[in-house]
Amino acid sequence: MLTPTVPLSPQPWRAAYAAAGIVGDLPPPNHASLAALVHSSCVTYAQQIAYTCVVPNGMNGSLTYAQVDAHSDAFAAYLRQTLKLPPGARVAVQLPNSLGYPVVAFGILKAGCVLVNTNPLYTPSEMLHQFKDAGVEALVLIDMFADKLPAVMRDTGLKHVIVASVTEFFPAVPNAVVRGVQRFWSRVLPPIAVPHVRLAAALAQGREALGAASVKAYWGDLKASDTAALQYTGGTTGVAKGAVLSHGNLVANVQQMLAMGATHMTPGKECVLTALPLYHIFAFTANLLGFLSIGARNILIPSPRPVQNLQRAVENYPVTWITGVNTLFNALLNEEWFLAYPPKHLKASIAGGTALHGAVAERWAAVTGTPIAEGYGLTETSPVVSFNPLGGGARLGSIGIPAPGTEVRLVSDDGADVKAGEAGEIWVRGPQVMQGYWNNPGASADILRDGWLATGDVAVMDEAGFMRIVDRKKDLILVSGFNVYPNEIEDVIARMDAVLEVAVIGIPDGQSGEAVRAYVVPNPEHAAAPTAAQIAEHCRKYLTGYKLPKSVVLRDELPKTPIGKVLRKDLKAEVRAEFAARK
Amino acid sequence: MLTELETKLLGVMMMVIMLGMGASLTYRDFLIALRKPKGVLVGLVCQYGIMPFMGYALAMALGLPPGLAVGLILIACMPGGTTSNIFTYFSKAVLALSIMMTSVSTLVALVAVPALLEFYSGAAGITGDFRIPAGNVAQVLVVLLVPTVIGMVLRKLNPNVGASIELLGGMLGIAVIVFLIISWVPRNYQLLTVTPWYVYFAAVGLGLFGMALGYSLAKLLKQDNNRSRTIALETGIQNGPLAVLIVTLTFTGAMQQEVLLIPVLYSLFIVLTSSAVTVWFRRLSSREAKARDSAKVGALNPT
Repeated sequence: MLTPTVPLSPQPWRAAYAAAGIVGDLPPPNHASLAALVHSSCVTYAQQIAYTCVVPNGMNGSLTYAQVDAHSDAFAAYLRQTLKLPPGARVAVQLPNSLGYPVVAFGILKAGCVLVNTNPLYTPSEMLHQFKDAGVEALVLIDMFADKLPAVMRDTGLKHVIVASVTEFFPAVPNAVVRGVQRFWSRVLPPIAVPHVRLAAALAQGREALGAASVKAYWGDLKASDTAALQYTGGTTGVAKGAVLSHGNLVANVQQMLAMGATHMTPGKECVLTALPLYHIFAFTANLLGFLSIGARNILIPSPRPVQNLQRAVENYPVTWITGVNTLFNALLNEEWFLAYPPKHLKASIAGGTALHGAVAERWAAVTGTPIAEGYGLTETSPVVSFNPLGGGARLGSIGIPAPGTEVRLVSDDGADVKAGEAGEIWVRGPQVMQGYWNNPGASADILRDGWLATGDVAVMDEAGFMRIVDRKKDLILVSGFNVYPNEIEDVIARMDAVLEVAVIGIPDGQSGEAVRAYVVPNPEHAAAPTAAQIAEHCRKYLTGYKLPKSVVLRDELPKTPIGKVLRKDLKAEVRAEFAARK
Repeated sequence: MLTELETKLLGVMMMVIMLGMGASLTYRDFLIALRKPKGVLVGLVCQYGIMPFMGYALAMALGLPPGLAVGLILIACMPGGTTSNIFTYFSKAVLALSIMMTSVSTLVALVAVPALLEFYSGAAGITGDFRIPAGNVAQVLVVLLVPTVIGMVLRKLNPNVGASIELLGGMLGIAVIVFLIISWVPRNYQLLTVTPWYVYFAAVGLGLFGMALGYSLAKLLKQDNNRSRTIALETGIQNGPLAVLIVTLTFTGAMQQEVLLIPVLYSLFIVLTSSAVTVWFRRLSSREAKARDSAKVGALNPT
């Protein structure tokens, strides 16, 4: 029925839904707000364990669904009654993966306030920008970084500080041991120079203020259009902007993610490894909310680096799902303990955030014997846009088909839809698309056009509706007028055994305008680091002349975002500095 | 010599240390180690090949009397000490390899230590009352395997309990030596002043030569610098408290005092020498990492 020479028919991917056992029509929203979603799951699975936090030596703490419900009720009451924050007030959370995170995040949502997820590693100036821009009134911060507070408090409207620890809700002995090591050995607990409240004290005050009343009074009237979270993004283009995600956006995206994964999920029986940070939209929606809504147990890892930190968690818990990024999967595949004993209960893994290299995907499937599905999303789309179907038909190197309820167009520079097999910018429409950027109508109008979100990513779609990312529009390298897509070169170099990781960018070149440069991290398991000549020889087998790297730089590591996305922009900045210095 | 109470206390502390070592292990760790047996084999050769021979050679070269010689040979035949894991951690070497070498050598000790002790005692011409009966040594080791296995089981049942015991065991390893210093040194101050130089030389030298030979053998067998440093520490650091325990269970009175001298001196000085070596290794490790970095970028950047 589909002929490749005509424009793509509307939603050519629907046939793939049926083939993989996916329900193609998104049901109406099952909850009016995230607060309702959280509460309903906590009632259904009350006695099951919801979150377990595991530190590198295997010490751990857990909360049941009922405890998460009760503690987050108390935190909601603390915000509304004790601090007297109004509905819609912005509350920032700056916590690593730990048991305090779900309690605080759900408390904020139940209070009808707005959650502002913030990277705990931010510098004071990054915190200042974000808190000022969002108008943050209260902050929940990990105690390890409390030394940044004085500078931040002086210059923002921030009025209340709640401090939490990594071992929040741990049993007494492990708590004392880990705190003792943090305080006396690694000395990572700075004195706190501003007025603050400990999380445990805040919960006690909230519990008392609430009494026998129900926090449903705060969230019962929330509508799908009400703002749930400001999720800051755009570090790659300069100043961070806050994507306004509504309760409806996130509830819908949870449903979309579950629709794609349902064939491999049994409610109440799953155990998901959460090594990616929860303040990032991928783990926030998929792990914190998605797996919560099906009654799964979340294994929270405060710090996944070095990747050895995951060993005790993988050994001690029957992990059935892993969400990750290319670098995480690649790192696990280079660990001896993981290769010898891959998690035997594993059902499936999903990769997002950045392109999953073909070599990693193939090895992962071979080592674990389970499917790994690459997906695609953006902060601005809550984040899931597309996924490879797990139930069959997944295509290597593809970002899959749009999630149910999502419309996708590929658009050329002149605004027309491209034909099958041609490259075009991905435009997305669906219930997960953000409301706009916070206090930034200019940037919102740039990216939201007639209800469509222009992603800035270039892809091609085949007749069956499967998409393949060609690259970020702005990462294109122009060699003598030819378009070179860094992803393609990276994928080829990553196939060398001697290579652990690789990033490709363009550098200025007198002859060709731009030339390809590869930054390569040698594989330490391999006897010798690859030479530039070996890399060039390998590339010549797969790539035409203008795509070959003209320069190769060996590195011990690559600059990365907190979730492990390689930061090409940092490498580009180095190159700019390098070439400026030569002039 | 040690009092009855001190001997009992030492026995209990040894149990906790072995409990902690068990808690640092899983059954899987052994299977993983067997997949790449080279590292473990190198460790075993160092532990039960080089060290006992060196103990014997030192005893002969220095012409030690039988009481001192048997102490030196005993400490040289011991399996790796759990404190080596702590030093390995601080010297930025390969912790997993260190734990594995300690545990494998402790398991093998059951057979290797009685046999080696018998062999080298005979070669050194030690006879009669100064011979440590092989059965005694085997018994102590079997008894110590019980807490090790309990530690492994506890870790499997409850990771929180396992991790707490693991930490406790590691700290007790140091505590036992501090305990020896506090209780034994003041009472034997007089003895220490009249102890001849060659006894100190044997006690300190065993550890230092062990590290040097362990490192050389590892390099010879093409282990990288970090693994070689791990093997060096592991070889030089013996399970001193275990030797002290065996001596106190075998000998009494003045004989005990004489045989105990070198194991106790070794235990005291190995803490100092391994601390110094750890600081040095740590510096080497950091310097190598930096040098690797700049060399690569410089040599391979053709633009």
